[in-house]
Amino acid sequence: MLVKRERWTPYLFILPALLILGVFRFWPIVIGLSESFYSISFLQGGAKVFTGLDNYKSLLGDPVFIKSVQVSVLFNLIINPLQILLSLGLAFLVNQRVRGVEFFRSIYLIPVAISINVSSLLWKLILDDSGMANGILSLFEIGKQPFLDSTSQALWSIIGIASWIGVPFWMLFLLAGLQGIPAQIYEAAEMDGANGMTKLFRVTLPLMRNSIGFVLIADTISNFLLFVPVYMLTQGGPELSTNLVMYEAYRRGMIYGDFGTSAAMVMMQLCIVIFVVLIQSYLFREK
Amino acid sequence: MRNLIKMITIFVLALSMLLAACSPKPQATQSAETSEPEVPTEAAVTEAPTISASTDEPITLTWLILEFWNPDNVIAAYQKEHPNVTIKAEKIGFADLFQQNQIRLGAGDDSLDIVSVDAPLVASYGARGWLYPLNSTFSSEEIDTWVPGAVEAGTYNEQFLAAPQHTSTQLLFYNKDMLEAAGITPPGEDERWTWEQVAANAQQLTHDDVYGFTWEQTTAAYQLLPLPLSLGGNAIGPDGFTVDGVVNSEEWVNAFTFYGDAFNSLGYAPKSDTPANEMFKNGKLAMFVGGSWNNLVFSWGPPEFNWGVSRFPYFEEGETVIPTGGWHFGVNANSAHPEAAAEFVRWLSAGEGADIWWGADSYDMPAQKSIIESFSTLPEFQTPPLYFMQVAAREATVNPVPRPVTPGYLEYEQLLNAAFNDIRNGADPKQALDTAAQRIAQEMAKYQK
Amino acid sequence: MSYQNKSSSRIYPVITYLVLFGVFILVVSPLQWAIASSFSQNDLIFRNVFPFSWKAFVPSQFTMEAYQALFTQRDFGLVLRNTFILSIGTVLLSGLINLLAGFAFATFDFNGKNLLFGLVLFTFMVPIEVTIIPQYLQMKNLGWINTWQGLFIPGLANSMVIFLFRQFFSEIPKDLLDAARVDGASWLKILFSIVVPISKPVLIGAGMVLFISTWNSFFWPLVVAPSPEFRVIQVAISLTVEQRQTIWNELFAGSLLAAIVPILIVLPLQQYYVNSIASTGIKE
Repeated sequence: MLVKRERWTPYLFILPALLILGVFRFWPIVIGLSESFYSISFLQGGAKVFTGLDNYKSLLGDPVFIKSVQVSVLFNLIINPLQILLSLGLAFLVNQRVRGVEFFRSIYLIPVAISINVSSLLWKLILDDSGMANGILSLFEIGKQPFLDSTSQALWSIIGIASWIGVPFWMLFLLAGLQGIPAQIYEAAEMDGANGMTKLFRVTLPLMRNSIGFVLIADTISNFLLFVPVYMLTQGGPELSTNLVMYEAYRRGMIYGDFGTSAAMVMMQLCIVIFVVLIQSYLFREK
Repeated sequence: MRNLIKMITIFVLALSMLLAACSPKPQATQSAETSEPEVPTEAAVTEAPTISASTDEPITLTWLILEFWNPDNVIAAYQKEHPNVTIKAEKIGFADLFQQNQIRLGAGDDSLDIVSVDAPLVASYGARGWLYPLNSTFSSEEIDTWVPGAVEAGTYNEQFLAAPQHTSTQLLFYNKDMLEAAGITPPGEDERWTWEQVAANAQQLTHDDVYGFTWEQTTAAYQLLPLPLSLGGNAIGPDGFTVDGVVNSEEWVNAFTFYGDAFNSLGYAPKSDTPANEMFKNGKLAMFVGGSWNNLVFSWGPPEFNWGVSRFPYFEEGETVIPTGGWHFGVNANSAHPEAAAEFVRWLSAGEGADIWWGADSYDMPAQKSIIESFSTLPEFQTPPLYFMQVAAREATVNPVPRPVTPGYLEYEQLLNAAFNDIRNGADPKQALDTAAQRIAQEMAKYQK
Repeated sequence: MSYQNKSSSRIYPVITYLVLFGVFILVVSPLQWAIASSFSQNDLIFRNVFPFSWKAFVPSQFTMEAYQALFTQRDFGLVLRNTFILSIGTVLLSGLINLLAGFAFATFDFNGKNLLFGLVLFTFMVPIEVTIIPQYLQMKNLGWINTWQGLFIPGLANSMVIFLFRQFFSEIPKDLLDAARVDGASWLKILFSIVVPISKPVLIGAGMVLFISTWNSFFWPLVVAPSPEFRVIQVAISLTVEQRQTIWNELFAGSLLAAIVPILIVLPLQQYYVNSIASTGIKE
């Protein structure tokens, strides 16, 4: 499609974005991640010392890190499919032709507009021992639930909160994909004798391929990076049951000041994320 | 493929040239010609930069402070006496100040001169070489200005790194009406109940949705360390690092069994995170131990019932141990004007600045003994509730035990707070403390390398 | 016309309404409590929460003091102005930059395309905590601390939005583009005269993402421009959490004010956005 003299056109188009990303994101990333190969030596009065793979090795033997990997894996295995399904479901729901659906659709978008810090704080107050959630439960004669204070409920609570915040957002993109399917295709399918289920799996979902692919990959990355709810609500507890790798990395870096270990953790999680995203990209590649 | 490699090479080269052009320019050379090397005393460490501000050079000092402090009065007064100095205050919210310090001090930022340091973090910043030693700035009379323990809190490795500006103390707040209704004689303001008494009375006071007692900072080391310390335990080993055998000692386990029972088996303390003073005002909490600042909070929004204060409890067989410590001010080791900054800190924490500052800042207990002593004659402090600040003044000097001095304080505190949280939620105290000891030891290891 | 499921039985709409309403309650109850609290006095906020009573959803002793305090004591007028400038500016500039890049990745084949796109995605995967110190130093060295450049420029390229554009544009039928090429149009002309008009949904979607994420940004503005004259709204709200107490009603009031603006923008736009998807007929 490109004429010879236009060989540079694509590069020119991407140049501003790449320049900005390169200078202001990529370069600091390289520096930040390279911190993982250094440690601070306190015996030398706080000097930074090159220690190679030591940070990585000590992490592999660190029970707290191992536990946080387990928590992160569990968290992501649950939340990614859950959010995709919920977003899809919600998109189908607001796509129904019933009166007043636009009103509901508008309401559902409100969590998108609220910042994640504030949403987390709001939920912290609601799920508190003396909070609104327990208050409502007691009206139904259900006993007080510990929610964020329980090793069995805390992670689920975080998943729930993150979904309250995230699902409406991803729904928007899926809705766009859904609504982009022209009616004619469904009519044609029906004429071929397709029923509800077949239409869903043979027509709707395949035609939503690009939007589902986008949401899947972007949501996966976002969920791996997620840590504000943990930061605001549980700080990794109770008993490390919500101690995501991202939060532990934040703790080591921004609270303890141990940037080397923090960067090493992020590096290791990055490898997993890249791996997962590559697989997802392959599954949703252009055909 | 070759095109790709060429492209990447060009890209990287361009990047590095761009960044090289943006490398830091040498700082503040205007004072280089007039500088005199500082004469080191035995206590001063010579790694301090030798650029000294001559009194004629106009300089600007940047001061990173908490958002709700009002520095205008002290800045105006100081600038009047030192016309060549301009002080620029940068305000950060409490929740983010610690992070800002980490980022800017950790980046070796030379645009920051005066630093607000929370007392227990002096060792942490000191071990990382972030603070400029103030040993030669303060005279020995000035060192004596502050409440006991404050100087030690500001010192690490024999270097005085941050001057105390505030301290803190704690009182027991109680709802007089509720106590009398339950047939409990309220304690006198200078009377000290034992923890055992508190527990017994709290159980009596707990009914329906009203709780008997809680600790204001429910799962914080600051608030809870007095429990094991009162029983004779230690906060940390003598080397400033060892925790095994210390935080999981018998005294600690007993102290935290007492603590855990309050929330679980005896149920007189709420598991809610609703602030204690809110619950107290709403009539859902009969008593709590909390900072003396609550007197001020209650003076602005008075509770609708009769209330009083008494002294911080202790274990019957143990000692009286009161939490203490507050904000200090220090100088950034990378500051371009360390001596000018140090002089301001001296004036502020041990000089006339202290009186001006305390007038403007309404929350915190001052660290200066003279100001505390003045509480007994201040007109605002003659009627309750601010009258109770006089009680606080008396309490501030009774065995205030600062938090342990260790470069690993942040790790220590994080992991202990997590353990306290777990105990509060029902975990077994011995297990939780053993786990905490293990994890703290793991984090402390890096300080010995 | 776009396809919407037809209700095929009597029961179907009832179930649909039940579910719609259920989700509605889930979304709205937390917010209603926040709204009520923002109009209450600070001391009274926790009064009706446990034991729970319906009074929690209504302000106890209605007062505007929280909202007033925001403007008189917390300089919210300036804060709103700053955040507006930053958000709108980012939507326009970053939108353009991301548009060009996304289009290129979708439409052209060029050496290193996949690698470069991978790099774009890669920068999205690394959390800001790892890069904050090098980024801070960079800003300091450029002299961009407490400046508009520092706030704007690093955010002018957004990987997720580039990804979004690329996904969307790759669905544009090649014949459409080829026809324009045959007519001798330059690529820029093709992008702006042909592609953009049929891409309203994704443009609106990208604009929303850019606006909301900039509007709600907290960490970067806090680090690069902490000075009060550059304060943005989320930073201003965080200041209601003080050391000794939290001014809850101001926190809620500020958060609701902060949320209203994106809501007022998202709501009307999403009508347009969803409707216009129906009329683009891209897949035909």
